[in-house]
Amino acid sequence: MTEHVEPLFSRPLLPLANADDAELTCTTAFPRIAAADGRASVVHVIEKAGGAPDKAGVEQREEVADELFDIARRAADDAGIELQTDLRFATDVGDAILEAARETDASAIVFTPRGGHSWWDLFSGAVREELIRHSDRPVVVLPADNADEGGET
Amino acid sequence: MTDEELAKDLGPLAALTIGIGTMIGAGIFVLPGAAVQQAGPLSAAAFVLGGVIALLTAMSASELGTAMPKSGGAYYYINHALGPLFGSVAGWGNWMGLAFASAFYMTGFGQYVVTFLPIPSLVLGGITVSAVKLVALAGGLLFVFINYVGAKETGKLQNAIVLILLAILAVFTVFGLLNADLAKLRPFVPPDRGVSPLLPVTGLIFVSYLGFVQITSVAEEIKDPGKNLPRAVLGSVVIVTLVYALVLLTVLAAVDNSLVAGNETAVVDVARLLIGPVGAGAMLFGGLLATASSANASILASSRINFAMGRDRIVSTALNEIHPRFGTPYRSIAITGGFILLFILLADVNTLANAGSVLHLIIYGLLNVSLIVMRVSDPEDYQPDYRVPLYPIVPVLGAITSFALIAFFADTIVLLAAGFVVFAMVWYAAYARTKATKQGILGKYLLQQSEQLPDAAVSAATSVQPDGGYRVMVPLSNPESERDLISLAGAVTKANDGTLVGVHIVKVPDQTALESAREEYDFAEADRLLEQARVDADELGVDMETHTVLSHRSFEEVFDAAETYNADLVVMGWGPDSHGSPGRAESAYEEITHALPYDVLVLKDRGFDPSHVLVPTAGGPDSDLSASIASVLREFCDAEIELLHVADDRDAGERFLREWADERGLGDATLTVETGDVESAIESHATDASLLVVGATERGLLSRLVSGTVVMDVVDDVECSVLLAERSRSRSIRERLFG
Repeated sequence: MTEHVEPLFSRPLLPLANADDAELTCTTAFPRIAAADGRASVVHVIEKAGGAPDKAGVEQREEVADELFDIARRAADDAGIELQTDLRFATDVGDAILEAARETDASAIVFTPRGGHSWWDLFSGAVREELIRHSDRPVVVLPADNADEGGET
Repeated sequence: MTDEELAKDLGPLAALTIGIGTMIGAGIFVLPGAAVQQAGPLSAAAFVLGGVIALLTAMSASELGTAMPKSGGAYYYINHALGPLFGSVAGWGNWMGLAFASAFYMTGFGQYVVTFLPIPSLVLGGITVSAVKLVALAGGLLFVFINYVGAKETGKLQNAIVLILLAILAVFTVFGLLNADLAKLRPFVPPDRGVSPLLPVTGLIFVSYLGFVQITSVAEEIKDPGKNLPRAVLGSVVIVTLVYALVLLTVLAAVDNSLVAGNETAVVDVARLLIGPVGAGAMLFGGLLATASSANASILASSRINFAMGRDRIVSTALNEIHPRFGTPYRSIAITGGFILLFILLADVNTLANAGSVLHLIIYGLLNVSLIVMRVSDPEDYQPDYRVPLYPIVPVLGAITSFALIAFFADTIVLLAAGFVVFAMVWYAAYARTKATKQGILGKYLLQQSEQLPDAAVSAATSVQPDGGYRVMVPLSNPESERDLISLAGAVTKANDGTLVGVHIVKVPDQTALESAREEYDFAEADRLLEQARVDADELGVDMETHTVLSHRSFEEVFDAAETYNADLVVMGWGPDSHGSPGRAESAYEEITHALPYDVLVLKDRGFDPSHVLVPTAGGPDSDLSASIASVLREFCDAEIELLHVADDRDAGERFLREWADERGLGDATLTVETGDVESAIESHATDASLLVVGATERGLLSRLVSGTVVMDVVDDVECSVLLAERSRSRSIRERLFG
């Protein structure tokens, strides 16, 4: 029995956490998506405290989201691919990303490692772990270096 | 659930506990000792009086909050109503007031900790830091750190903390009542001093009533704010006032005044006497929880105020950067934390309480004034769900009592408050005025009413309006002309080192409410247009902000938008489908053009090509704008400039044009002097030109353009693009007067 296998980069979902992450993820991933003739969705999740005051105001973080999506749109224009943006509010960022992936029937979840100090993980949850452990679709971690480097092809 | 519901997830209980949690710490656990020392049982009356003053302001804050559920709360309302000058006072006042209050809460926290932990004082370089202050500093650092990394569990603890506190206090009060002896409350008024300590003590304990306004600073997150915000704000003040008065009366009826007076942790000793060690332990625990939750909520609220101030450019937006990993406004929190630690080190507990109170009293007074301004000016979009009862008595009383109470503080504190207000105003004048983008309702109202109001009021209103740098607004509607308009406007923006403001006006039929249009309309096309504009502006290296404006009008809205976004120059296209056809209300924009507050460039676009720019001039101030546009185009678009002057006498004409060009830095342009008919001269030279720049030769270019009458035949007769320039009325008059 043969099954139709979808290319990983045909309809991937890219979670974007912050401006640097957006820049890096989009410039790394979009050329690959363009090569696969795919289209991209980017999602940003505004973490809510769920009934308590948030650590930063919603309006403030919506401004951040606008900025991220602008970066993504510019990168999509450069790469010549179609882009969908998705802003979500959730108490659990990892869950929200997985849900977004299910709803858009994403071909993969694609991200770049965020770097930073390791003690940061103590306070900012482990979204990466959540994605890798609980995803029902492929998860692609792209190297943080520029896509042109390496030259193994 | 919709996104809206998810974003607004603070229920009524959570909102209420922010208020109670911030307030309850001080009134019971820190202040009774100092208050009773000064006023005996009368201090219970001071708590009630403080509660009443707070309640008056709480009503105003509720109305403003339901009308504008925005991040930043009190600061936002004051800035919105009274403009950025008072906004600066309110923002700085609220921010520093919270820092002083947090330092006060932390010092109270320190007083509780040292009762059970033997902590030595520290001598550093000849300066002694007491044990209380050491603990306060450590506690301050801890709560700043918690907010810095945004541990979200702390937020959820707030509800539990408040409920535990209320339970502890309820048990404590029951024990107190069982031992109460009303005779101990007499004399209620101190026999030696009478009622004179009432107002000073009210001032001292007023720091116990700062929390309700913090609810408004997270108003945007509250579920159904129309209902829940007033309930939480008013409810928290009423509950807290009752708890303060009840607990204090019970304590004073149950034990001797002397046990309470001057005792920093009075309620712990009272509980030990009435209940035993378990009671003392519970009250100690309560004191720690209460002061901690107060400080934590205050640090959180201050970052919202910073955000709102940054959004209005009262402070640098760099302050509000979000941490890439923690998602917290870490810089704002770190700086607030620095202030808190500094204040703990510098001031004693009473000074901290007083400074926190007095700064908040200024804000409370301004809040009441803002409410009155909003009611009097009654802007269209002011639709509060909750309305203050007995208007105008309540806000007038609220303003008077808030400002009047300031007079009962010690002179040094009043001086501190006055100095602070001066600082905030100087800050606005020196730093923020050139950057602030928002104009207050009061200023707009005064300017609108300028014919009825005395000149002094109007000129005062004009001189404090923000300039926000040089702002060039471009109304965009047609994708085909978008690029041309951006290129032109971008060049001018760049030359003035300003900001480009792209505005897309979406016309909504009169039958559709703007609110529902905002939810239902598909803005994909508008977004694409503005996005393309941003990309083009980016290529030019120009800062650009974009706005989509919904309006029942289209053309007229351009002028409103120009006012809203503080434009210095409006660059708009002119063509059959540029901005819809002007409506019938010609008088409306005749009024606007009568006092045109900004320069206007209208591009009749036949393909924007600035390679050969023809500028006809007859001299006079009106052609100055054409001249400056020409030099901008020369500098940024490599335009070749040709100046044309039509004169009766060729020699005199050449002398005039030479001088005119030199004065305007256009000496190296091609100078052409013609005799004969002006229009035919322009037409014949325009055949070689790619762009014709025409200054308004007489007042009312715009209104004639708007009403559809032809401005000048040349505009239609030439084949190149035509740029019509009309200068700001107000400015040219001023410039004529003052050179």
